[in-house]
Amino acid sequence: MSGILRRHPTAVAYALLAPGLFYLLVFYLIPTVQMFLVSLWTGNLEDGYSLTFNFSIYPDALSQYWGQFVRSVVYGGGATVLTFLLGFPLAYFIAFRGGRYKNLLLFLVIAPFFTSFLLRTLSWKLILSDDGLVLAPLKTLGLVPDDFRILATPVAVIAGITYNFLPFMTLPLYVALEKIPPSLLEAAEDLYASNWQRFRRVTLPLALPGVIAGSLLTFIPAVGDYVNAELLGSPQSQMIGNVIQARFLAVGDYPTGSALSFILMAAILIGVLIYARIVGTEELLGGASA
Amino acid sequence: MTQHHAPIEDGTTVSITRRRLLQLSAAAGLSAFLAACGTAGTKSPATSASAAAATGTPSATGTPVATGTPGATGVPGASGTPGAETPGATASAEPTPGSTPASSGSFKMATWIGYIDVGTGKDKKSHPSLIRFTKETGVEIDYQESVNDNESFFASQLKGPLQSGLDTGWDIVVLTDWMIIRLAKLGWLETITPGATFPTNLLDVYKTRDWDPGNQFAAPWQSGMTGIAFDQKKTGPLTSLDVFFDQKYAGKMTYLTEMRDTVGLTALKLGSDPATLTQEQFDAAIAAIKQAVSDQLVRQLTGNSYVEDMQGGNVIVAMGWSGDVQGLLVPDQSKDQDFQWALPDQGAMLWTDNMAIPKGAKNKGQAETFINWYYIAKNAAEVEAWVNYVCPVVGADVEITKIDPALGSNTLIFPSAEMQAKLHQFVALDTNQASAWESAFTKAIGQ
Repeated sequence: MSGILRRHPTAVAYALLAPGLFYLLVFYLIPTVQMFLVSLWTGNLEDGYSLTFNFSIYPDALSQYWGQFVRSVVYGGGATVLTFLLGFPLAYFIAFRGGRYKNLLLFLVIAPFFTSFLLRTLSWKLILSDDGLVLAPLKTLGLVPDDFRILATPVAVIAGITYNFLPFMTLPLYVALEKIPPSLLEAAEDLYASNWQRFRRVTLPLALPGVIAGSLLTFIPAVGDYVNAELLGSPQSQMIGNVIQARFLAVGDYPTGSALSFILMAAILIGVLIYARIVGTEELLGGASA
Repeated sequence: MTQHHAPIEDGTTVSITRRRLLQLSAAAGLSAFLAACGTAGTKSPATSASAAAATGTPSATGTPVATGTPGATGVPGASGTPGAETPGATASAEPTPGSTPASSGSFKMATWIGYIDVGTGKDKKSHPSLIRFTKETGVEIDYQESVNDNESFFASQLKGPLQSGLDTGWDIVVLTDWMIIRLAKLGWLETITPGATFPTNLLDVYKTRDWDPGNQFAAPWQSGMTGIAFDQKKTGPLTSLDVFFDQKYAGKMTYLTEMRDTVGLTALKLGSDPATLTQEQFDAAIAAIKQAVSDQLVRQLTGNSYVEDMQGGNVIVAMGWSGDVQGLLVPDQSKDQDFQWALPDQGAMLWTDNMAIPKGAKNKGQAETFINWYYIAKNAAEVEAWVNYVCPVVGADVEITKIDPALGSNTLIFPSAEMQAKLHQFVALDTNQASAWESAFTKAIGQ
């Protein structure tokens, strides 16, 4: 047996891949194909559905819910930029200044994950509420008008997404920064690089795989998120995830719900490919395989 | 229907409905709930015991108490019966023979969380009323709180087997009116054989539901009213639905994500009757809702999370459910809040969760035994003292005073005659129309 494996090293690789491939096939590929077929159904619950290859549902769905699509990309993109602005200094500090507290600091970054996503978002409701921790003092001091609110505005939705996805950005950044050999930074200094130049020419390029991984891990789920918009948003800030949920669960309109899910998936995929092309596939793949 | 794992799973975890709140707060808010239930909890032993002593009706003895301790296993038969129990058992066992044949066997019931009484003390898992049911009728009940949401229960539990003509495994399902209508239209329900108490003991308001003549398909379990929930300290007394379109409360107001509630109240405000709503009247209501949304009068559309928003001071006027507001009715002087629930002048919505028997149910006889048992006023009262929604059973208001005198005169549980006259049900829709109206509504609210 071991002889066969030694003579056919690729067989070993495939054997090791098999469980993962099988999982993806059963729980990702088949449902995706099924969802695509559902999107081409017409009919209703009472009379049943039939596959009519109704492709016009795609342009229809896109034009009807264009606003929510754009909004999702804006909110998801905005939250990704914010997580980067917050996460980079944090990861930098932990990687280079963390010292013996590194593990503790990393634990603190992950700590919110010990609470459910839902509860974390609900607690934001308490923090941001009209007379809550943040606004009550500001209102007492007269810094904001009495009827000012953060909850049920886009600001609250983006803030919620940013908070919920911050660790997804911070951890890959930390891994990338932590790997940078100190000798390279010393070399930059020896070559008379200023602090800014050293950061710009050495640290940042080497951290790029982390930036890419982090921004994908944040942006993709953030665009599809609907919990934050539902709990922290208003009717004016509903995202495409909310529409998909309503189509499936409230209206029972499975074809449109499936079509919207598919459009979202395709749009993200195309966006990611363009992003990878611009930033460079080498970093993306290099980051993934390292 | 395999294409939407994620949406359904996420949906059921997240979209907060009336019942979900109960679920979430079940652990944390149990003590508050008990307090709100008017001493139904810890004090109930004393209360019911003294009530029994005073009135001399052994049948009213706190069954919860007796079974509370010995029945810790939750096995109905195992609850060691103190001798004092026996009179009660014989007294109310009499309807069984006359109504339905089944006096043995078992059946399986799917319902919502928070819809049944719960044992006291260590015995929080057991349901005293159900233990008594088994003792009195000889029928075992497998009571499952597995309905989270009408649509997903329909999709996951009923649609598959019923489409292929198979038994669903459930003998009673508790679902909301409109879902019962859908099931009845699909021919997926058994008719309920009239028994000794059902439909005889059903309140009149339920006997005229045009979609269920003769009450063949649906036996109401609980109802609730949808009206105005408000903080009286901030708004003063409110009685008109006009408040939901008043610029004064812009951004401090919530509507409900339930289409039938929000559209129903809006239609009432516009002078239409929700029970006979036409397409034009529906369109007018949707236009009004759309306007209110785009004028930013409406802060959010919610399930029952409006309750927390009201407590937190974010919301001072809400479309609210009578049962939810029960727990808020005591003024909070320290926070300067005084919550009230008002039945609007123009009328309010009434919705009902009903017991129904899916087609091909194996234990129809046992299910009917249970339905008839529930429709004995004393039994419904025992459940109602915990649940606190609107009780559909005649005479439960009298019986409940033996458990807690205050509950009998609570008009949110037992609406007065003039309140009942103002309650409206939503027009019965076929699947296509329901889907089209839901679609128009979700679009009006930004989805």
